[in-house]
Amino acid sequence: MSLALDPQAISTAVSRLADSIYEASVDGNIDLVGIRSRGDEVAERVFCLLKEKGANVRLGVLDISLYRDDFEHLHENPKLQSSEIDFPVDNSHIILVDDVLFTGRTIRAALDALFDYGRPGSVQLAVLIDRGHRELPVAPNYVGKILETNRLDHVLVRLKNTDGEDALEITSKK
Amino acid sequence: MNLFLKGGDVATEDNAPTRADVWIVDGTIKAVSVMDAPEGARVIDCAGAVIMPGMFDAHVHFREPGQEQKETILDGSEAAINGGITGVVMMPNTAPSIDSAAVVNRVMEIGRKCRIPILTSGCITVGREGREMAPIAGMKDAGVLMLTDDGDAVPNAALLKRAMEYGKEFDMFFASHCEDPQLAGLRALNEGPVSYRLGIQGTPALAEEICMDRDIRIAHATGAHLHIQHVSSKIGMETIRWWKEKGAHVTAEVAPHHLMFRAEDIGDYDTHYKMNPPLRTAEDNAALLEGLKEGVFDLIATDHAPHTEFEKSQAFVDAPNGLVGLDHALISLYDRFVANGDFGWELLVKRYSAEPRRMMRLDVAEVAEGKPADLIVFDPNKATTVSKEFMKSKSSNTPFLDKTVKGSVEMVVLGDEILLER
Amino acid sequence: MARKDFLDIVSLDREEIIHLLDQAKPFKDLFTRSVKKVPALNGKTVLMLFYEPSTRTLSSFEVAAKRLSADVTIFDVPHSSVTKGESVRDTIDTLQAMRADYIVVRHRLSGQPAAIARQTGASVINAGDGAHAHPTQALLDAFTLREVHPELPGKKVLIMGDILHSRVARSTSTILDKLGVEVAYCGPGSLVPHTRFKRFTNYDEAMKWGPDAVYLLRVQKERQEASFYPSDREYHSVFGVTQERLKRISEEGIYVMHPGPINRGVELCDDVLDYERCLISQQVENGIAARMSVLYGLKPQTS
Repeated sequence: MSLALDPQAISTAVSRLADSIYEASVDGNIDLVGIRSRGDEVAERVFCLLKEKGANVRLGVLDISLYRDDFEHLHENPKLQSSEIDFPVDNSHIILVDDVLFTGRTIRAALDALFDYGRPGSVQLAVLIDRGHRELPVAPNYVGKILETNRLDHVLVRLKNTDGEDALEITSKK
Repeated sequence: MNLFLKGGDVATEDNAPTRADVWIVDGTIKAVSVMDAPEGARVIDCAGAVIMPGMFDAHVHFREPGQEQKETILDGSEAAINGGITGVVMMPNTAPSIDSAAVVNRVMEIGRKCRIPILTSGCITVGREGREMAPIAGMKDAGVLMLTDDGDAVPNAALLKRAMEYGKEFDMFFASHCEDPQLAGLRALNEGPVSYRLGIQGTPALAEEICMDRDIRIAHATGAHLHIQHVSSKIGMETIRWWKEKGAHVTAEVAPHHLMFRAEDIGDYDTHYKMNPPLRTAEDNAALLEGLKEGVFDLIATDHAPHTEFEKSQAFVDAPNGLVGLDHALISLYDRFVANGDFGWELLVKRYSAEPRRMMRLDVAEVAEGKPADLIVFDPNKATTVSKEFMKSKSSNTPFLDKTVKGSVEMVVLGDEILLER
Repeated sequence: MARKDFLDIVSLDREEIIHLLDQAKPFKDLFTRSVKKVPALNGKTVLMLFYEPSTRTLSSFEVAAKRLSADVTIFDVPHSSVTKGESVRDTIDTLQAMRADYIVVRHRLSGQPAAIARQTGASVINAGDGAHAHPTQALLDAFTLREVHPELPGKKVLIMGDILHSRVARSTSTILDKLGVEVAYCGPGSLVPHTRFKRFTNYDEAMKWGPDAVYLLRVQKERQEASFYPSDREYHSVFGVTQERLKRISEEGIYVMHPGPINRGVELCDDVLDYERCLISQQVENGIAARMSVLYGLKPQTS
């Protein structure tokens, strides 16, 4: 197990994410929807940074447990938490936010969940870490940091509010 | 009112009569002791007489509503006064039965016009049909404490159990007329030599005893207080004694006729000796008397059951069951048992005045200083001929008709009124 | 580790119960979305086996299953071969061929759902068996009460009516007890058995105990061969929530609940339904969320 990123590196990645989203924004209106868990904390931090820059930001959170494609193989179904998007999804330009982008299945589930709330005008993807090894045709629009990993590596992200500290660890499987 | 009863003996439930005068002013007993007549008091000569609390009969049939040709509540109450009884509990087998607050209220309203307090029991089941529970809580609100289907038992054990579980929570108690309906048969007379001789199917004492045991067990299991009515057999008496020894909350009554008469008295189909439960044997008479003296029976009650002459003149099997008792129960009990020393005045006072009132949660009538006046003057040296003219009941179906017995109720005082004075 | 079946509350521990209650909330939140369905049980089959009639519970389960994207089959018992004398066991063997993943059972005999659960790998959910249990009702009751009283331990709930014949009384009292709620029973002496809960047979005495909520049970004369109480009219005057009693309940701010269907004029007067702290319609709404939570939380062993 090795520490791939320290708190400072995480912070930098969050800032990079916020900056690129801000620069790309046409009218200063930004709708963020964080994916539980940890994607919601990333979205919150980005939300704060964007507010400081004077953007008009709205924040929502999505629990995608009910949309996963792997129920069959689990001993018990994942613990549900609530979703909350209190602005209308119809015609909005939404940026989904997650902590780690890997196979892309989580994003596929998030899209299904999001579309059950309404019909967005457009959907983009912002991820803190892109570790590669896609299994679905999903590509991020905004990336905090790109990491090279092996397919079987176990990547563990910890964030201050969710886990008590900021860190990213990679465990290699031999 | 200022009354001085002079020269008599005062009886209580605990002591043999003791010599004392009784001074009553405006409905309250001012003094009970040997004293001089107070100024201005009206003096009644009670020499040789016994002064006792008014009697109380917890089992009477007044036939109103529905069969007023036999008796009305008013006539029945006058018969009670005539017999030295100052309170009664009516049975609910009228037409309609007393099985709802509406009927209870009606009879209580009539009762309020009488000169003595009239209480009533209520049915356990609607119409006494044994199928549906009667509106018990409604009757409680109207003043009923005792629930009974008297005239019949409740054949369905499940229904009786549930009624007891339900009714006891309203602080009411149950009374049983014990009779297994399948063994009851013609309900004409006891199964034995007399039924054989007369050629009529008799009813065994078993019919009463089985039901008695069943009802007591159900009451014991549910915690309800059960009162067994008109016990007529030796085994019945022993059953009650056994359950009391086990600590069951059961009380029981015995009727004067079951103490005095036996099946042989029916003689040649005399319907005056036809009642339900029927007269049985001399052995039963003796056992019931023993039970009364021992305290197995908590109270004496007449089961006063008026029927018209016409009805009683029918064939033995067809004639209705029962005899009147209010007018002459006390004097006949004196005549048969007190006069010849079988038991004393204390037992009469206890079992025919004090205990019945206690069961009905009333204040016990006492001839004592400070108590309200509720008393009778009984002269054991006079005799009474129980003629139709003497009787105040509308009906006269009694074996004592036109017989003369020792003893006479001379005076009845209730509150500040003299209800009777001969 | 998820269970296969959901047969009663007695076998659940407090943590499991709280988990099920917590999981019901996200499902309830879905109701306000335009698309109320989620694909969680997509492709799974839910079989409704109702041997006792019930429109309300049946449709509640049906909606719950469909909102999880499951396929629902209602096995119509009265018209089926069951009435020709086929036993429940034979029915199950026939149904095995349909390969249901979940079977929701309601039966008039206590213990039937458990018997079915032993014979099939499908997840069996008890929708009410005899006078034994109605666990999904208990769950929605606890959920509803928790919405108005988030801190349940120490609260008092009075369950009133025909306790003796009620599976709802048994399950709901058990779940509340496990959650730290103080439960008492009240009703006619002939319909309230002696249990570990406080027992009242007098309305006023029961109210003096100070309940935070009163849970009314349906009283049914038709279930009785030898009656347990005289009449619906007397029941209403002695134990029913009359207008008079509603006034005092309203003054104390006591909540009123009922599993339905209600008997107007017996357990309660019409005005109770308009009382602002009457939770009956919330109970119905929460029924779907609670049942979704149960379906989501079970794992069939069909493979």
